[in-house]
Amino acid sequence: MNQNSHKSSSDYNVRLEQLTSHALSAPARFWHVGLLLAALAMSIILIALLVTEPAIPMRTRIAFAVMLAMSLSWMAYSIWVLKNRLTLLANHRIVAGKMAVAFTAIFTVSALATGFFAGKATGFLAAGMGAALLVIALGLLARAKRRFAILHNRRQQLERELAGEKT
Amino acid sequence: MNTEDLQYTARTDELLAIRCQLGEHAAFDELIRKWAPPLRRYVARVVNNHDVSDDIMQEIWISVLRGVAGLRDCSKFRSWLFSIAHRTLMDRLRGQYSISIDNDMALDEIAVEDMEARHNEARRIVEGGLSSLPLLEREVLTLFYLQELSLVEVASVLALPIGTVKSRLFRARIMLRDQIAH
Repeated sequence: MNQNSHKSSSDYNVRLEQLTSHALSAPARFWHVGLLLAALAMSIILIALLVTEPAIPMRTRIAFAVMLAMSLSWMAYSIWVLKNRLTLLANHRIVAGKMAVAFTAIFTVSALATGFFAGKATGFLAAGMGAALLVIALGLLARAKRRFAILHNRRQQLERELAGEKT
Repeated sequence: MNTEDLQYTARTDELLAIRCQLGEHAAFDELIRKWAPPLRRYVARVVNNHDVSDDIMQEIWISVLRGVAGLRDCSKFRSWLFSIAHRTLMDRLRGQYSISIDNDMALDEIAVEDMEARHNEARRIVEGGLSSLPLLEREVLTLFYLQELSLVEVASVLALPIGTVKSRLFRARIMLRDQIAH
């Protein structure tokens, strides 16, 4: 092999390593998980306002509806990215699940507090929806942990078998 | 490669895929180190050009890196990997893949045992005369003889019934033999 093909092969390997680093970038993934959760919280608040505040003027209602459409679009975008571009590996799913649990718990408690202290029905409705999402987040976290454990056990089993065959 | 070696290799591949799914960065580097050369050789054989475009390889690896998290059965890692390369090539070479000439050859004429017994001899012949064959035959011979995939794996990679793979292999071997005889 000549010098040029050595150079081209090492360039290619460097590009593949860059590709891997980019494809596995954890900050990018968690940024999109955060975006999804923020858009979800915004959507809940807007839905709660539109449902519980019939007295707000039509112009404000339209503005809220537009904002709701925007936050739903952000949700769709982040779900698409997490499904097709930055797919979550088993360890990422656990972190994403913990983020979702923490975020929905804080949101639910804050909404409940708003309902109690400000006496607003909007707060109670948002807390109800937040609680439902908290249950879903807990379910997703449990599923992520289960999946991780299955993979981990299979990994250990294979490592034992392969080590046994080597000796 | 004998059956035990194949099983051992299949399990090391499964382990590698699981480590990737668990999110171990080093496993991805290992995956690329191990599989980049065979994938590149496969693509070079199919496109019939040793200077394989880095674009094609990059496209294949992007799909692999994005798709590995969703791979359900890691024991089928090798056929999954080649099926991604095959699909990428199908997209790129749509015109050539559309010329399908699979026919209804009698399957009992095509003994698998016969094919496997002649594997080593065929491998040497295949390497010599492959470039003169059409794309479909070149691809099936590359997967079966040079990448040493089983018939089931080749069928899975090409998304074809085993019968069609057998008849395509049979036809490809005849074409190869004729090519070499002339």
